[in-house]
Amino acid sequence: MATTRTDSRQRSGRGKLLAGTLILAFFAVVTLAASQLAPYPKNDIDFESWLAPSGAHLLGTDSYGQDVFSQLVYGTRTSFLVGILAGLITTVIGVLVGVTAGFYRRWVSDALMFLVDLLLIIPIMALMIILASYLPSMGLTSTILVIGLLSWLYMARSIRSQTLSERQRGYVEAARVAGMSNVSVMLREILPNLYPIILANLVSVTTQAVLAEAGLSFLGIGDPKNVSWGTILALAHANNAIMYDAWWWIVPPGLATALFCFGFILIGNGSLERYRYKRGAAQQL
Amino acid sequence: MRIEPAYAVRRVAFAAATLLAAIIMNFLLPRLIAGNPAEMIASQTALGSAEVADAIKKQFGLENDSLLYQFKQYIVQLAHGNLGISYFNYPTPVAGVLLHALPWTLGIVLVSTLVSYSAGWLIGIRGALKPGTWFDNVALAVSFFINSVPYFWIGILLILLFGYKLDWFPMGQAFAVDYDTLSAAGKLRSIAYHAILPTVSLAIASLASHILVLRNNLSRALTEDYMVLARAKGLSARRRTYQYGVRNAFLPAFTGFMLTLGHVVGGAITMEIVFSYPGIGMLTYNAILNHDYPLIQGAFLMIAVSIITVNLLADLIYPFIDPRVNLS
Repeated sequence: MATTRTDSRQRSGRGKLLAGTLILAFFAVVTLAASQLAPYPKNDIDFESWLAPSGAHLLGTDSYGQDVFSQLVYGTRTSFLVGILAGLITTVIGVLVGVTAGFYRRWVSDALMFLVDLLLIIPIMALMIILASYLPSMGLTSTILVIGLLSWLYMARSIRSQTLSERQRGYVEAARVAGMSNVSVMLREILPNLYPIILANLVSVTTQAVLAEAGLSFLGIGDPKNVSWGTILALAHANNAIMYDAWWWIVPPGLATALFCFGFILIGNGSLERYRYKRGAAQQL
Repeated sequence: MRIEPAYAVRRVAFAAATLLAAIIMNFLLPRLIAGNPAEMIASQTALGSAEVADAIKKQFGLENDSLLYQFKQYIVQLAHGNLGISYFNYPTPVAGVLLHALPWTLGIVLVSTLVSYSAGWLIGIRGALKPGTWFDNVALAVSFFINSVPYFWIGILLILLFGYKLDWFPMGQAFAVDYDTLSAAGKLRSIAYHAILPTVSLAIASLASHILVLRNNLSRALTEDYMVLARAKGLSARRRTYQYGVRNAFLPAFTGFMLTLGHVVGGAITMEIVFSYPGIGMLTYNAILNHDYPLIQGAFLMIAVSIITVNLLADLIYPFIDPRVNLS
């Protein structure tokens, strides 16, 4: 009995990690090889409108006579890049602000957190709309920046409160006594202990970034030249896809975001289980 | 069971500071990003007449280059409820257009928040009390799924199913075409009937985070030492669960509730477009299409003010739920 239990604990999280990595790898491949994988060229409008799914058009065609499956493949690129890159920007800022504000308890960090608390109340989506509609043009880069630079508030707050409690622990005191500088205490002692909370936040900000991109595109303020899962839905809605019962134009983009986020959730949960296994089960989130 | 004056003052001051932050952002952001698009508030081409443009420029202090002066004028105009003139609805003032749209948004946002909060509460509690059951697993899986799809996608699917296929509910708009001919009760019925699907969509979309938060909080509360003590004292399971567990799980969730409100409003913007619902979101969408900058800015401010107000109200109710906050 004892051995089987150890075995299952050793394996814990590995399956999820593997499945999550496979899902993300799948999206990465689609992103890189979009033009090879899509059956028809981008913006090819040579087909009949409103065709239901068939062998020639796996997900049918839309009102413009474009192949929906090809659009979905090209759309993956934008959504994947925005999700990953904006999510990373957010995470870096969130960790940086959270850890420093939690570690140095000076008035500057208190003031910073007060500001964060203020801004948290104002809906980020509304702020993004203001920014995006005033920017002269919304390319892929500005979409990534607008989303990445505006979404770190909640993360900074949660990282800070965790840093505050870590700072009280004995190991931080010990590292200080041993003569470590503040920066190395933060980087080498506190940061590894924040791993679970950073990971949980990373998963949620990446998910949020993909959804924010979809929302902005749906509002017509994403990158007009790029296809994304959001623009596909925006076009479907603007062209009354519902009235034509064109579920093949509506359902796939939403499922794509769900699968993408599911991959991240799997990786997040899986590596948390690994982390707990390696560090002992005492670690609680 | 009362509010400490010091606490109330602190919360009001915080709300005022948030409002100021929103106003400063609204004033500064356009000026920082695109040179001086504040000019757009009074753009001649947009307003048609040079005299009108000049008058508005003067109102908003745009003839003076000093930012501080412009800000002072901006505040003065704001205090008079003047947010500029909407380009597209010229010559209707932005404030009027917004006030017309606000009740629609507030209606569906507040009702759907209450619905999703209570439903999420019930589902989350049941899941936390019986973790690992099929009910709990399904609730968790559905929550993660809902959290991974855009709000408006849920709306589109519900319209497709309940509006188009089953024809149970209207596919959009806030009231019937023959609204003006209806009696008062008929009008009310028409509005409620049209509001059901958008409200339910918003409630479903925001349900997931409530379930997850409450389930998480309650699971944690159930492992606290005071639960063991309550058991040792011989309290009934029922009393332990509800008065000790749920009561304590509810408190942090209330704060979360306020934070999610911003999220729901963000979601409502796209949801309104899906349903052609005439609220702030639809207005913002049209304003973006028409490059109606005064209206975009006004909508932002209106959203901020509504959320700050609701937050302040929640803050002031909080001491009645948890008297301890008076002390902190």
